[in-house]
Amino acid sequence: MLQSIRPKNRVIFAYLVIPVVLYVFSVFVPLMTAGYFSFFEWKGGPNKTFIGLENYVALMKDTIFWRSFSHNIYLVIACIIGQVGIAFVFVMMLSSNLVKLKGIHRTFGFFPSTVAAVSIGFIWTMVYDYKRGILNWVLKLIGKEDIIKVWLNESALVMLLVSIPLIWQFIGYYMVILLSATSSIDKEIIESSQIDGANGFQRAVHIVLPLIKNTLLVCITLCIAGNMKVFDHIYVMTSGGPGYDSMVMALYGYTVSFGQQNMGYGSAISLGIFVISLTVIGGGQLLVTLLSKERGEKA
Amino acid sequence: MKRKLLGVLLVLAMMTTLFVGCAKKSDGKPAATDKKEGTEDKGGDSLEYSGDLEIMHFSTSEESQGNGGSDGFRTVIANWEKANPNINLVQTVLANDDYKTQIATLAGAGDLPEVFLLQGMHTKAWAEQGLILDMTDIINDSPYNSQYDDALFYPFSAEGKIYGLPALTGGTCAVVVYDSAVWKEAGFDAFPETWDDVLKAKEFFDGKGMDTVAFGNSGKWQINSCFLSAVGDRFTGPEWTYSLIEKGGAKFTDQPFVDALKFTQEIFNSGLFNPDFNAINNEEAREYYISGDASAFIGGNWDVSYIQATLEGTDLYDTTKFAVIPQPEGATASYKTHDIGLGYAVAISSKVADDPAKLAAAIDLAYEITGPQFAEYVASNYALGGLTKVENIDLSKFDQFTQDFYNFSYVDNNPCEIYDSYISGAVWDVLNTDLQTMLNNGISPEDVAANAQKAYDENY
Repeated sequence: MLQSIRPKNRVIFAYLVIPVVLYVFSVFVPLMTAGYFSFFEWKGGPNKTFIGLENYVALMKDTIFWRSFSHNIYLVIACIIGQVGIAFVFVMMLSSNLVKLKGIHRTFGFFPSTVAAVSIGFIWTMVYDYKRGILNWVLKLIGKEDIIKVWLNESALVMLLVSIPLIWQFIGYYMVILLSATSSIDKEIIESSQIDGANGFQRAVHIVLPLIKNTLLVCITLCIAGNMKVFDHIYVMTSGGPGYDSMVMALYGYTVSFGQQNMGYGSAISLGIFVISLTVIGGGQLLVTLLSKERGEKA
Repeated sequence: MKRKLLGVLLVLAMMTTLFVGCAKKSDGKPAATDKKEGTEDKGGDSLEYSGDLEIMHFSTSEESQGNGGSDGFRTVIANWEKANPNINLVQTVLANDDYKTQIATLAGAGDLPEVFLLQGMHTKAWAEQGLILDMTDIINDSPYNSQYDDALFYPFSAEGKIYGLPALTGGTCAVVVYDSAVWKEAGFDAFPETWDDVLKAKEFFDGKGMDTVAFGNSGKWQINSCFLSAVGDRFTGPEWTYSLIEKGGAKFTDQPFVDALKFTQEIFNSGLFNPDFNAINNEEAREYYISGDASAFIGGNWDVSYIQATLEGTDLYDTTKFAVIPQPEGATASYKTHDIGLGYAVAISSKVADDPAKLAAAIDLAYEITGPQFAEYVASNYALGGLTKVENIDLSKFDQFTQDFYNFSYVDNNPCEIYDSYISGAVWDVLNTDLQTMLNNGISPEDVAANAQKAYDENY
């Protein structure tokens, strides 16, 4: 930046102080206190008993927590394929000359991500409703009454069913991010590939994908982070049920802390979620970087 | 330079607001509190205190429409406010589900409101934490003591001390609401007394395209409060429940309780209930009854209030009757029982004891909202009972629906305990979640009992 227009250090510092203080109070302090409480047997209230690492030992052996973690991973995979994958397909379709009214497609595609997660949960609960839901209504209409189910009570299907609203909601969000990335690709590159006879699929995989790699990495990171802390959709749709079949880590932490009044163990779960999420996000990034490096080397 | 100065000032102002905002929480009382101090006590009461008094409850204005307990609660509070103009009653009113979460969170933070409604299952834990005031002497000194129904204090007692004055109305948590007209068509003059007969009627209702019984358990607590508490009692008898509460040696894994679980699993797999019972809540299930999609519904008194308010003036209102949950085969410990009681009590935060004048005001409020004024209001307007006994309720002025429900609740059947008024939320959370899985055949009754026992050993 030009020195003449660069604000003085103390001005920069003064502006930064506000977000930093807010961040420290809303993220850092709660995290530290949760860390502190996780060493206690604490059922709420003023009395706590120090138990060292016992909560963490219990966490390692807690099958429900690890089952919840596997559900989070399921969601991460489903949403990377569903949200980022479908968003990429949509972006490629939108960049085609055959598609008209692109602005309208963009707006309507983005619209679901502006709706509150709780409302989305309620809408899809109605879609899946056994007696009055549109899904069973359509199945009846087309004569497939034999496959009508109490959808949200199906242990084997419930994770897929709760991930559909999540995917549906955020396709538009990733679509907008990817659209901005593709719009910065030099048109000449696309045109010359067309002249060379590359079809749509080849253009998408060999031209666009490598050029928006960094944006894609950001999208995947956002997707992993979002799905490791997912809570509201599932809370509204199934409360983690039937039984623990759609339980996710954040909802489990909430249930233990507030449903079971076990604040000490609940804090340990929160810390566990934090560490696991960081590991998964870091692992995801590493994997994507490694994969793209390999591709580069091969090429 | 001026602009820079302004910038710095704005930043400082924001920072100050932020810190003041944070600090305010810790010093508790807002400035308005002292406004009325020193003013004359104009009320008919002899309360010395003037200033704010907090109360948190769940009798929202929406809930009070048609719900006698809520209506009575709000009415008595309003009267108390009028009688004590020097006291600014600061009410936090939340819907019941939100209330439960909020109060548990506040208890966790050691920051309970001055006066609030205590659920039986929290009594022991919160008393041990020193969060709630021992009210034994307060109850003994109550001007209404002689009128109290002593049995109602049991869920709010721990180690020989009492921690709350039972509030609202004594309502059943397990009632079969049924359409007598359609059951007559099925060949039954009243709702059957055995499940075998209910199963016989199933064919008839299947033919009509109706569910025999509607039930909603997506919230997971319904199967415990509205079914298992009563069915369990039929298998185990009350002594087992008391022994479990008082740690007298009873176990969830005892055979009679496991039998109750087995029966529950079997009956929910028999096709009697709406297939989506695990995916909808009680509010949706009662709509199946209201809309004629089901011939009967199992729920609690709160559902009956809603059904009454919704159906009034319709044919179904006139033919709606009440029955206890039928007797399961092999259950011989008790008969015709339904879990009924006062699920909440007015409790006072132990912190209020530091200010004797405020404590006197809180006690006075607690006496009134659980006293004869409340009981008479709900008895004369809704034919419901509260903590104090009301003699000679004139039932003749009520319609048949209300009379029938009064007789069901207080006259014709036997009371039993509501499981989740006792022990600990941690135990019930584990049991309720497993029960939901068990109804889907995802876990055996024996394992449900073993998991509940493990949670009981760890948390109680």
